[in-house]
Amino acid sequence: MFEDPLLLARVQFALTAATHYMFVAFTLGMAPYVLFGQLRALLRVDSTGMRAVRFWGGLYLVNYAMGILSGLVMELQLTLNWSGLHDMFGYAFGAPLAIETMAAFFVESTFLGLWIFGWDRMGRWAHWSCFLVVTLTAYLSAYWVMVSNGLLKWPAGFSVRDGAAVLDDPAALMANPSATLAFAHICVSALLMGGAVVMAVSAYHLRRRRDPDGLFARALRTGTVLVLVGLVPTVVTGGTQFVMYGQEPPTSGQSYTPAEIEGIESAYGDTSTAHLIGISGDLLMMLSWAVMALLGLVTALVWMAGGLGRWRWHLRVAAVMPLFPYAASVGGWVFRETERQPWTVRHHLTTADALTEMSPLAAGASFTLFTAAFAVLGITTAWLLVRFARLGPDAGPLRAPEADGDERRDPVTPL
Amino acid sequence: MDLLPVLLLTVLIVGYFVLAGCDIGLGMAAPRLARTPAERRRLVSAIAPYFLGTEVWLVAAIGVVAGLFPALKGVLFGGGGMWAVFTVLAFGWIMRDAGLWARARVDTDRWRSACDAALVGGSWTLAVCWGLAVGGLLSGGRPLTPFALACAAAVVALFLLRGAAFGAERLVPAGPSASAAGADEAARLTRLLARTALGAGLLAAVLAAVPFTGADLGRPWFALAAAAAVLAAVGATSGVSGPHLSRHTSALALGAVPVLVGTALVLPLDPAPPGTLVLVGAAVVPLLPLMVVGQVALYRMLRRPAPDHGFFVTPPPVPAGR
Ligand code: HDD
Ligand code: HEM
Ligand code: HEM
Repeated sequence: MFEDPLLLARVQFALTAATHYMFVAFTLGMAPYVLFGQLRALLRVDSTGMRAVRFWGGLYLVNYAMGILSGLVMELQLTLNWSGLHDMFGYAFGAPLAIETMAAFFVESTFLGLWIFGWDRMGRWAHWSCFLVVTLTAYLSAYWVMVSNGLLKWPAGFSVRDGAAVLDDPAALMANPSATLAFAHICVSALLMGGAVVMAVSAYHLRRRRDPDGLFARALRTGTVLVLVGLVPTVVTGGTQFVMYGQEPPTSGQSYTPAEIEGIESAYGDTSTAHLIGISGDLLMMLSWAVMALLGLVTALVWMAGGLGRWRWHLRVAAVMPLFPYAASVGGWVFRETERQPWTVRHHLTTADALTEMSPLAAGASFTLFTAAFAVLGITTAWLLVRFARLGPDAGPLRAPEADGDERRDPVTPL
Repeated sequence: MDLLPVLLLTVLIVGYFVLAGCDIGLGMAAPRLARTPAERRRLVSAIAPYFLGTEVWLVAAIGVVAGLFPALKGVLFGGGGMWAVFTVLAFGWIMRDAGLWARARVDTDRWRSACDAALVGGSWTLAVCWGLAVGGLLSGGRPLTPFALACAAAVVALFLLRGAAFGAERLVPAGPSASAAGADEAARLTRLLARTALGAGLLAAVLAAVPFTGADLGRPWFALAAAAAVLAAVGATSGVSGPHLSRHTSALALGAVPVLVGTALVLPLDPAPPGTLVLVGAAVVPLLPLMVVGQVALYRMLRRPAPDHGFFVTPPPVPAGR
C-alpha cells in the first residue's frame, strides 16, 4: 500500500474526513441546544438553567477544538494533495470554500472566542448574541462546504473552457440539488446526533441518581423530543437524494465525450473495493436509522407510561443511543464519497488525475504523520468528552468561577 | 475591481503575520519567560483565546488562494521542498493548537508538560517553517539555499521579537503582589532580538547580491525597498528604545515580510472570472461588518493584562469519590 500515492492519499482523506465529520456533526447538533438553553435561562433568570448551559457548553468547546484541528488538515490536504482539483476547478470548487473560510469560519471562531472569554465580562444579552452568531455561522459554514462538495457529485453552474471550469451561473451552483438536499439531510441528522448525546449523558447521571437540581431530568426530555422530531425529516431529506441517481449531471459531456465516460466507468467496474465499501456504508446508515427509530418509539412509549428518567432498564438503553447517529453519519459519508468513484468530479475529472504528483516517499510520510497525529488527537478528545460528560456540571470546563471557591478572579457580573 | 482581490489577500496575510506573530512568538519564548506554574498559566492565558481570532486570518487567506488565485498554488507549493515545508507547517500548527486547547483539561503535571511541549515545539515549527517558506519562495522554490536560510533566520527572530513585545505588555500581573518577572524579561529580550533580526536581515540582503547563494528575485528593486522597510523597523528598536516602541515596529517588520515576498516575485495574480468574483463578493461583503466587529471586540476585551484563570487555564476540580 505504501507504494501507491493515490491509494494513500485517498485513505488519508477518508480517515481525516470521517474524523472531522464526527466532531463537526456534534458541533452542529449541540449548538442550537446550547443556544436555546442559554436563551431560556436568560428569560427565566434561572441559575439551574445557566449551570446546564455551562455544562453542555463545556462539552461543546472540548469537541469544537477537534473540529477545528481536523478541519485545518482537511483544508490543507485539499490544497497539498489534490492539486488537480484546484487546477481545473479552483474557480468553481474553491470559491465556496473561500467564502466558507472568510465569511463563516472567520466570524464563527472570533465570536466563539468572545463567548468563551465573555462569560463574566459582558452584558448577558451581548454574551448570548455571541453564541447566536456562532450557531448561525456554523450552519452557514456547513452550507458552503456542501456547495463545494455537491459540485463534485452534481457538477453544475460552470462551463469548461481551455480545460478549466469557469463559473458562469453562481445561482445554479448555490441551488445545486446535491448541495441543498445534502445540507438539509446533514442539519436534521446532526440534530438527531445532538439529541441522542443529550439523552445518553442525562441517562448516565439519572441512573446514578445524580441530579440534585433536575437538570438531567429536563435534558432527557428535550433530547428525546429532538430525536423524535428528527427521525422522519432525516429519511425524507436523505431519500430525496436518490432521485438524482442514474441521471446525467447538467455539465456532462463538456470534458469527456459520452463514449469516453462510458469507457472510464466500465474500466473501473461495479465490483471495485470502493464500491463495496460504499454499499456497506449505505447499509450501516439505514440500519442505524432503523435502530434509532425503534429506540425512539420505545422511549416515547416509556414517556407516555410515566417511566422516562425513572425506569432503570430504559436509562441503560438510552445511554447507547449516540452509537447509531455516529455510525450512520460516517456510513452516509462513505457512501456518498465512494459512490462517486472513479470520478472526483463526476464526468470531468478522475480521482487519479486529481492527485498532486508526489513521490511515494512524500505521500507515505504525510500519511504517517497526519494519521498518527489524528489518532492521538481524536482519541484524546473522545476520552475528554466522555470524562467531562461523566464528571458532570461541577467539574465542567466552563463551570462558574464561584464553584471553585477561588478568590483570585475579577469581579463577576451576576448572570 | 482587479485590484480588490489582490488587496484582500494582502490584508489577510499581513493581518495574520502581524496578529498571529504575537501568539506564535510568545509560545516560542515560553521556556524563557514563564518558569513557575503561575507564570506559565498567565502566559497561556495571554495566548488563548487570542489565537482563536488570529489564525482565522490565515485560514481565510488559504481560502482566498484556493478560490480566487488557484494559479498561485503552483508557485507556493511547487517542487517537493516547498510541499514538505508546508506539510510540516500544518503539522506544527495542529500540535500547537492541540496543546493550547488541551492544557487545562487534566490536572496533572505530566499532562501540562506534554501540552507545554506541544505549544513550544509547535510554535517553533510554525515560525521556522514560515521562515523557510519565505526564504524558499525568494529562492525560486528551494528552501535550503544559504540565502533562504538567512531569510528564515531573520523571520524566526522577528517572530520571537513580536512575541517578546507582546509578552512585555500582557504578562504584567493583575494584582500588585504577583511577580512581573516574565514581562520584565520579555522587555529586556526585545533589544537582543531586534539586533539578531537586523543581523540576519542584513546577511540575507548581502547574500541576495552574491551570485550562487540562491536568491531568485523577479523584481529586485521592489525587494530592496521592502527589505529596507523591514530593516528600518527592526533597526528602530534595536538600540534606542525599550519594549514600548517594539510593539509597533515588530508589527511593521513582520507585516512587511509577506509584502516583500509579494512584490519581489512576479506572481500569477490573474483576476478570477466574473462569475466567481460576483459569488464571493455577494457572499462576503454583507458579513464584513460582523468580521470587523468581532475582531475589534475580541482584541479590546483582551487588552488588559492576562488573567490566570478561565477556560484555557483552570483545570477541573475532580469531585470527591469519582
Ligand atoms: C456539514 C458540515 C461540514 C463538513 C462536511 C465539513 N465541514 Fe469543516 N467545519 C464545519 C462543518 C463542516 C463546522 C461545523 O463549521 C466546523 C466544525 C467545528 C468548527 O469549528 O467549525 C468546521 C471546521 C472546519 C475548519 C476549521 C478551520 C480552523 O479552525 O481554522 C476548516 C478549515 C474546515 N472545516 C474545512 C473543511 C473542509 C476542507 C471540508 C471538506 C473537504 C470540511 N471542512 C467538511
Ligand atoms: C464536504 C466536504 C468534502 C469534500 C469537498 C470532499 C472531497 C473529497 C475529495 C477531493 C476526495 C479525494 C478524491 C476522491 O476520492 O474523489 C474525497 C475522498 C473521500 N472522502 Fe470526501 N469530501 C468531503 C467530505 C467528506 C466527509 C465528511 C467524509 C466522511 C467520511 C468523506 C469521506 C471520503 C472518503 C471515504 C473518500 C475516499 C473515497 C475513495 O477514494 O474511494 N468526505 N473527498
Ligand atoms: C433511512 C433513513 C436514511 C436514508 C434513506 C438516507 C439516505 C441518504 C442518501 C441517499 C444519501 C446520499 C448519498 C449520496 O449522495 O451519494 C445520504 C447521505 C448521508 N446520510 Fe443518510 N439516510 C438515512 C439516514 C441517515 C441517518 C440516521 C444519518 C445520521 C444521523 C444519516 C447521515 C448521512 C450523512 C452524514 C450523509 C452524507 C452527506 C449527504 O449526502 O447528505 N443518514 N443519506
